[in-house]
Amino acid sequence: MSSGNQAQIRNFSIIAHIDHGKSTLADRFIQLCGALEAREMQNQVLDSMELERERGITIKAQSVALNYTARDGRTYRLNMIDTPGHVDFSYEVSRSLTACEGAVLVVDASQGVQAQTVANCYTASELNLTILPVLNKVDLPSADPSRVIKEIEDIIGISAEHAIRASAKTGEGVAETLEAIIEHVPPPRGDTEAPLKALIIDSWFDNYLGTISLIRVMQGKLKLKDKIRLMATGHECVIEQLGVFTPKRKPVSGLNAGEVGYVIAGIKDIRDARVGDTITLAGRPAGEPLPGFKEIKPRVFAGLYPVDSADYDAFRDALGKLCLNDASLRYEPETSQALGFGFRCGFLGMLHMEIIQERLEREYNLSLITTAPTVVYEVLTNKGRVVQVENPAKLPDPSAIAEIREPIITATILVPQEYVGGVIGLCVEKRGIQKGLLYHGRQAMLTYELPLSEVVLDFFDRLKSISRGYASLDYDFLGFRSSNLCKLDVLINGDKVDALSVIVHREQSQYRGRELTKKLRELIPRQMFDVAIQAAIGSKIIARETVKALRKNVTAKCYGGDVTRKRKLLEKQKEGKKRMKQLGSVEIPQEAFLAVLQVNEK
Amino acid sequence: MFNFAVLPPLSLYIHVPWCVRKCPYCDFNSHEARAAIPERAYIDALLRDLERELPRVWGRTVHTVFLGGGTPSLFSPEAVDRLLAGVRVRVPLAPDAEVTLEANPGTVDIERFQGFRDAGVNRLSIGIQSFDPEKLQTLGRIHGRAEALQAAEAARVAGFENINLDLMYGLPRQTVEQALADVQTAVAIQPAHLSVYQLTIEPNTLFHAKPPVLPDDDTSWEMQNQIQDLLAEQGYKQYEVSAYAKPGYECRHNLNYWRFGDYLGIGAGAHGKITGTQGITRLWKTKHPGNYMEKAGTSAALGGIHNLAPQDAAAEFLLNALRLTQGFASSLFQERTGLALSIVEESLRLAETKGLLNRDHATIRPTELGRRFLNDLQVLFLPETSRHQTRFVAHG
Repeated sequence: MSSGNQAQIRNFSIIAHIDHGKSTLADRFIQLCGALEAREMQNQVLDSMELERERGITIKAQSVALNYTARDGRTYRLNMIDTPGHVDFSYEVSRSLTACEGAVLVVDASQGVQAQTVANCYTASELNLTILPVLNKVDLPSADPSRVIKEIEDIIGISAEHAIRASAKTGEGVAETLEAIIEHVPPPRGDTEAPLKALIIDSWFDNYLGTISLIRVMQGKLKLKDKIRLMATGHECVIEQLGVFTPKRKPVSGLNAGEVGYVIAGIKDIRDARVGDTITLAGRPAGEPLPGFKEIKPRVFAGLYPVDSADYDAFRDALGKLCLNDASLRYEPETSQALGFGFRCGFLGMLHMEIIQERLEREYNLSLITTAPTVVYEVLTNKGRVVQVENPAKLPDPSAIAEIREPIITATILVPQEYVGGVIGLCVEKRGIQKGLLYHGRQAMLTYELPLSEVVLDFFDRLKSISRGYASLDYDFLGFRSSNLCKLDVLINGDKVDALSVIVHREQSQYRGRELTKKLRELIPRQMFDVAIQAAIGSKIIARETVKALRKNVTAKCYGGDVTRKRKLLEKQKEGKKRMKQLGSVEIPQEAFLAVLQVNEK
Repeated sequence: MFNFAVLPPLSLYIHVPWCVRKCPYCDFNSHEARAAIPERAYIDALLRDLERELPRVWGRTVHTVFLGGGTPSLFSPEAVDRLLAGVRVRVPLAPDAEVTLEANPGTVDIERFQGFRDAGVNRLSIGIQSFDPEKLQTLGRIHGRAEALQAAEAARVAGFENINLDLMYGLPRQTVEQALADVQTAVAIQPAHLSVYQLTIEPNTLFHAKPPVLPDDDTSWEMQNQIQDLLAEQGYKQYEVSAYAKPGYECRHNLNYWRFGDYLGIGAGAHGKITGTQGITRLWKTKHPGNYMEKAGTSAALGGIHNLAPQDAAAEFLLNALRLTQGFASSLFQERTGLALSIVEESLRLAETKGLLNRDHATIRPTELGRRFLNDLQVLFLPETSRHQTRFVAHG
């Protein structure tokens, strides 16, 4: 197939909720096109990070170029672009979709439409993509295709009458889906002769090759040795390698308008090749970059500290390495009186934070203390300055503050009707403002404006438990809004522990203070002396709990001449102590610093 | 690295691995004797074992002998006589050597005690545990209150004046009053020595698999305080975590452990610790009685052997010596470990800051807080293991 023939190219994404079968379907496509030998097939080829496979989600966008011989006898180049499947990564999703002309909407035939799918479909519609609905898992006895078709039509607003019934598991409907892509998704129509505009879908770092960028050429063409310019950063470099993923890396000599492939150009820092940026030729630059580029900002921050301060250097190196591959991760050194030297890290959301934390502990063998995550607050000082506060301990003195503003999101929640009452109750408790409530058959769609800090806290878990797992959530950042907030401090045996401070709404401060001290009392083990835990706002103590002193810690028996058993017992105690942080004379377990996340229901 | 001016006193531990019935709290190397105990074969094995150990302690005098178990009183007086005679011809036994035998009240009478005495046993340690019939049953003991009292009386009549009674408190559903009543009954017998242990649930015991309801921390704390007060009033001086004695009747064998002395260990699963010019060696024998009897006297009877690294020798000295209520003479550290006290200086200082330890020019002793939180004190002296090593240990 000539790569210059755009009529025989189809670029598409798969939109699906977690567990609705996206990766299995993608595997089926790869199999059907014979891109990999059977022995090379590993379940869920595209989710290549160990963590991705374990969690069943995609974190990095990937692509695969497939050659498919259709029923019309012609061979087509299908570029399947995989998208991240979590609300933390919605910007990445929008960039992936921009690179496509069509999207396959996969909906589980028994579970129906989920909020995540809706949000991504709206994005796809805004980008004028052709959406092909596929009902997956129709082989399950609980499948209810006609109900789900109605849901797709009601909620997403596209015709689903001809939705393909498929089962990625049995293979039913897989070939039909590929045929439908060829028939309904328009081929790309970029002008090959126009100045080059290539969209960066994703970038990652390879130890041997440097930065690899996945790109879609929107117009023009690029070839080896071309000198390119990245329009957002102005960075210029020379192309060293071009290619496509089959899904193995396969070098080519050029990429033309309409094609998807990768570029390697000796870029050392992935921040120079940002997701959404436009690549053009240095010698013949495009006038305007492609629309939609955004500087991505971390929304959730937490302090990360090594339990053993001797690990600080190893920790810094590990963060550096993770950043090579994760342009949205931010970190800067931070010092806590309680925890010593560490880093304040910025994340896209809670999932992103958990992933980074887990990778640091697993891949770099670090033992870390994570402080309670916080959102960014905007503080207007009396002198009229606006300060960004990413760490509650750094909140200016109340006398210097004119106003504190907190980030607000627009949340879209899809939930079966019977749970609507519970979800509304939760949103009210979380200081939400209702913006919409629509019923679509069995499902209800609620729109709320909510403070992001409340969502970070425990909103998602609560939502899931209220709806028995049926509710789904998507959100967009709306802006900052002034609110009656204050700082809640925790004192342990009279000493303020900076790492435990949180910013809370004043009306909730009493309750949060009581819950936090209660939780800490459960988490801090009994020690040689009483441990007083207090919650304070300014100098006013609002709650107090005491961990009563342990009476003794002695092993009564000595084991005759066998000292090894006694030693083993003591080694175990010592190992336990190592996982504790010493604050003054009090030993605090790691989990205590996340206690604020575990406040119970009212 | 090690520099010993004198060798420490030497003791001999002899393990008898059989019991009439295994107690649900016991995690020692003991087995229910299903048929008759192979007395003759086992004693032959013990003596072969001892002979093979002789080169390690050539010319050194043994100051204490301890027959522990298991239930050594299951052995006949004739067997004990043959054993001790066999020991005497192989190693020099000090004329005033303390020779202890552990006895179970359910297995003894006056004649038997007299026989042990004639064989050379001069100290008896009787495993009473409790005088409360219901508690004895819960503990799976084979004796009742009457047997317990009779055993103590029989020992006295047989001529023993150095008697220890083992007691436990913090028993399932025990009240403070019940615990105190046990100790009062024991004191009325006027033994020279009392060992009073708090019951703890150990892994690999029946109690671990099916945990009984034990008194809470505050209750067992109350028991301990009242027991300590009562024993002090009655002239029993506490000299170790669980050991109380009339003046001059401290257990010399156990004191040798706690002062990091040397000991040979013979018998199934017995542990030994021997100081040589090259350093300190720990060794232990294979655990299973049948296997032990077959292999005793050959290298195959050895369960394991290793030399202590300096930091381990230092830690193990303190693990033992800090159990002593009065602590130890500072000079003893160098004498017994062959190392300068300065290698633990940092930990000593930390322990002092935490209020767990007191030092003057001559002695090092745990404070009242240090005795209550002895584990926290001892942990300070454990050598640093790298994370990698620790992981390895944890998984292995």
